[in-house]
Formats: sequence, C-alpha cells, structure tokens
Amino acid sequence: MQLTWQLAARNLTRNRRRTLLTGLIISLSTAALILTDAFILGFSDTAVRSATRMFPGDAQIHQVDYLAERDEELVIEAPQARLAQLDNEPEVVGYSPRVMAFGMISSAADNRATQVIGIDPAQERTVSRLADAMAAGDYLTSDGAETQLLMGRRLAELLAVELGDRIVISVHNQEWGGAEQALFRVSGLYDFNARVLDEETVFVLQAPLQTLLGVGDTVHEIALALRTPALASDPDLPLWQRLSDEQVKAQGWTTLMPQLAAMLDMTSASMALIGTMLFILAALGVTNGIFMSIYERTWEIGVLLAIGTRRLAVFRMILAETLLLALGAIAVGLALGGLATLTLGAVGIDYGSMELGGVAMAEQIRPRANWTQYSVYPPIVLALTLLAAMYPAAHAARIVPTRALHKSL
Amino acid sequence: MQASIQRKASADPTADVVFETRELSRHYGSGDTLVKALDQVSLTIAPREFTAIVGPSGSGKSTLLQLMGGLEAPTAGEVYLRGQAISAMSGRDLSDFRRDHIGFIFQAYNLIPVLTAAENCEYIMLLQGVPKAERQARVDSMLNRVGLSGKADRRPAQLSGGQQQRVAVARAMVSQPDIILADEPTANLDSQTGSDLLDMMHELNRREGMTFVFSTHDPMIMERASRLIQLRDGRIESDEVRA
Repeated sequence: MQLTWQLAARNLTRNRRRTLLTGLIISLSTAALILTDAFILGFSDTAVRSATRMFPGDAQIHQVDYLAERDEELVIEAPQARLAQLDNEPEVVGYSPRVMAFGMISSAADNRATQVIGIDPAQERTVSRLADAMAAGDYLTSDGAETQLLMGRRLAELLAVELGDRIVISVHNQEWGGAEQALFRVSGLYDFNARVLDEETVFVLQAPLQTLLGVGDTVHEIALALRTPALASDPDLPLWQRLSDEQVKAQGWTTLMPQLAAMLDMTSASMALIGTMLFILAALGVTNGIFMSIYERTWEIGVLLAIGTRRLAVFRMILAETLLLALGAIAVGLALGGLATLTLGAVGIDYGSMELGGVAMAEQIRPRANWTQYSVYPPIVLALTLLAAMYPAAHAARIVPTRALHKSL
Repeated sequence: MQASIQRKASADPTADVVFETRELSRHYGSGDTLVKALDQVSLTIAPREFTAIVGPSGSGKSTLLQLMGGLEAPTAGEVYLRGQAISAMSGRDLSDFRRDHIGFIFQAYNLIPVLTAAENCEYIMLLQGVPKAERQARVDSMLNRVGLSGKADRRPAQLSGGQQQRVAVARAMVSQPDIILADEPTANLDSQTGSDLLDMMHELNRREGMTFVFSTHDPMIMERASRLIQLRDGRIESDEVRA
C-alpha cells in the first residue's frame, strides 16, 4: 500500500527535530558499534603483534618438558636438522634458535638475576624486533667479539653501566654442575618498552653462552614467525604435528601465552557487552521518541481507527515509520562509523608505554574495518530498532477511538 | 466481514430500515456513581432520513452516535444495521463494519494533516481494497460534488475550516456507506460557512439519498432535519417526523 508508506514517510517529517534526534540515536549507536568493533579488532591485532612479534614469535619449539620445568638441561638436540625442516615449511617465514639461561649478571656497582639469551643475530632479525629496538650502541654481529652483550636501557641504569662497560655473567654449567662465569662488555642498549625485556633480560651470541652452559650446539627454543599471527591461534594447524615428535613440541602463541588469549577472548565478550548496552540505551531512546510521536497524534490515530483502520494496520504503520527512520539512520551511522574507522585507522591511537594484560603495546592501535561491521551489524540494528518500536506500536494499536477523540465522537 | 455479522432472527427484512437500536443502554460506573448515559433507547432510521438528535449536554447524543457507529459497546441492548446485529462482532469485524457501512463526520474535522484532501478521501477506499482507477474517479467526483475540485492537492492546513469540513463530508461519503453519523459538524464553523455546508449535505441527501444522522445543538440543522429526536437524561423525550 503506497499510501501507507507515504503516510509513514510524511509522519516522519511532522516533527523534524524529534525525528532527527531519534534518528541520531540510531545513527550514533550504529557508528559507535562499528567503531568499537573496529577498535577491538585493531587492539587485538596490536596486542598479538606486540606480544608475539616483539620477541617471543608466533610459535615456539621446545623440548617437550622444557616449558613445565624450565630446566636448562632440557635442550633441543641436533637443532640443525630441525632448522633445515623449517626452511621447507610454507607457513614459516622466519625462525630463530635460542639458548636460554637463568643467571646472575654483575656490574661494578650492582648485580641482578636475569635471563640470558644466546641468539644468532641474523636469524633473530627474522622473528623479533630486537634489532629495531636498539637505542644505543650496535646490534650483535656474528663475526664480532664473543663478549658482545645487549641489555635494556632500564637495566643499564639499574646496574649503573654504560656502553663498553664490563659485565660478568654467572650461569649453571650443565656438564659439571657448577657455576661458570664469563666477562662480557655492553655493546648495545635497547628499549622494548616492556618491563621483562628491558629490566630482566640480556642478549649475547649463541656460541659463548652454549660454552658457558656446557650444552654443546644444542638450543632451548626455536622461535617461529608465521605468515600471519592468526595461523598460530589455530590449535589444529597441521604444522604443529609436522614440527613435533617425541622429543620436541611446537605450539602457537595462544597455547604459549594463555593469558593473552584469555584477554582477547574477554575483549570479544566485552564487545558483546558494549553492543548490548549500546542497544539497550538506543532502544530506550527509540521507544521514547516513537511514544512521543504517538502521544502527539493520539487523536489522529483515533480517527484512523474510527473510520475503519484495523488495529494491526495501525501497528504496521508505526513499524513502517520506524523502518523508514531506521534505514535512513543506519545508512548515516554506517557512513559515520566508516569515516571514524578510516580516520582513526590512518592516525592511530597511541597507548604509549601502557601494558594491557601483561602486553606492552609496541605500536599504535589502528581500528580496522571488516565486512561483519557492514553486513551483520546493520540488520541487527534494524531488527533491534523494530523490536524497540513494537511496544509503542502496540500501544498505538490499542488506542480507544472514543477516548482519543474526546468529545467529538 | 458479511459472514461475521450475526443476522437478527426476528428482524423485519424490509428495506425501509437502515439502522435500528433496541433497548440500547450505556452505563458508566456502578452503585452510587452509576451514570446512565443512554437508557433503553429504541429507534429506527430509514433510508434518506436527515435526522437530528438534539438535547442538552449530557443527554446522550454523542453516546448514541458512538454506539450506532460501533465505537463503543452497549451495556445492554443491540444495534442492527439492515437487520444485522453488530454486538457479536470481533474488534477486526467492527473495524471492517465501520469502514464499509458508516461514514463519520467529526466536530473538529479530524482530517489526517499529512495527507492531501484527495488522499484523505482515498485512504478509506485503500482500506476497502478499491482499485486505483476507481478510487481516483470517486475522489474526483466526490470533491467536485462538495465544491473542492480545485483543491484536491491541498493539505488540511492549507484549507479553511469550512473547506476542511467539506473534505470530511467527502471522506465520509466516498466509501459509499449506509449511513453518515455527524457529531456537531457545524460547531467549529461560522454561521454562513455552517449554513453552506448544511445546504450541501442536504442536497446530497435529497439528490443521492444518503442517510444522515446528526448529533447537534445547531438550530440550522434542526431547521433542515426531516426528523428531530429529542434526548434527555439518556432517554428519548420526543421523536418528531417532519414533512
């Protein structure tokens, strides 16, 4: 019925201010929903990248009991064969074998318990951002002095050392079971903006640490960079089986960092909660706006009912008005949400040195659009808006004509 | 809708009665606060009548029109349209009954402000399912008959009070009802406009045989009425048929 739609459309033009305000509620809710989702996507991307690409890697291979016991004796034997296998894995774009030791480092002024990590400088570049994090001095070089040592600028402050100063590292030698010491010199200072790496970790070349530990040419960890971090969140990825055997186990970041995975799950739940709250508020606004429009023309609805309009037709008329309003408002909301996402995605949101869920945000959060925001949310917003309109529509359909018309019939 | 109207078993199926009320009562409240707005009113309305229901405020004029129009349910008694009782109708059937058989003219015009004069007339035919071409023809004809053929595209706010009430008359007639119930149709008009409007309705009554029932205080309507029913305290005090 064309006239019904005309009537609905014209009713919307009666009180333009109220129509605009009610429409704005729907538009802004839609835009806020899209932007919130885009922000959370961007946040998740940044959090995962910060957590994995900063240093740990998207996945890691360890001796099967290493993560549970952290015993330096639990090494990956014959790592060269496994590294050769990684060259042929299509999902793997980089890897870094690491020797991990817990020890004491001492300067002339102080000493601290730290993790000492022995790396292959070239391979480490393919996985972590250690080279990019250098703030002073030089990154490690394989053909340089075996005494090179990198530490966080913050740790250097705590130990009161500068570039070129001597550092003694003491670790537990696995061959003879006693403490082994060696002298190193601070060759570079880095700044990851993450406490554990900046204050409790130092990096040296792999070979001198292997010697110090007495573990031969073995390593404790092989960190992997995959094509995308999302690959690593798939617990059924066949890669894990191909890289695992009786001696070693390969695992993605969601298994290695369950606290981060839980935080991101919680973030998704927060999104649902925020969406629900947004729409409860929006629905109340829509319900109020429609109620006001009905109160304003109660007599007119009474006339429509008196001359023979069925109550269901009045109900439909109110829903038709809401539908037209919602379609227009959602279109505006999509445009606003898209524009805000594009703008903030280009500019970025800087969280500085803030750590969230134990993860330091190493880069700006850039809200990211995806198809769900524009294909799933609009119908949901439309359906919820129509749902919010049902109560006032039912109220309109129950108007008693004689009361609405007062004295005149 | 027709099937849902319960046929009155004892009704006289003659064609000279459009409406009949039998022992029609409408009471409000109870006990000490009981108000008998209408009390056991029985009357018949014949085709082509130009009937005025008159009486002081509170005498039950509007209540009687509401009951006849199916807008209120009676406390007791029955309303028959061409021998068919309307009390047993469901809400939906009552809507259809009003749509197909009753034309309403209200004191305050009560046109839909966002629709043009033509659309106000067309709306009820849309409800009736009248085809577009016929709707258009009937609207044109009806607006012409009430003298508004040049104002079809104007909205109520762009029309004078008298013109709006003419549109209301056109709206009431365009659906081809059995009877038109008019509640104080001249109350908001100046005397000249009211007189012109009544002349027009009287002409439609005489020329086209449309049955009108007015609730009114207006002497101009009483003068033109072919029948004058006087109500007092919810009862018929007098019922005078004029030549």
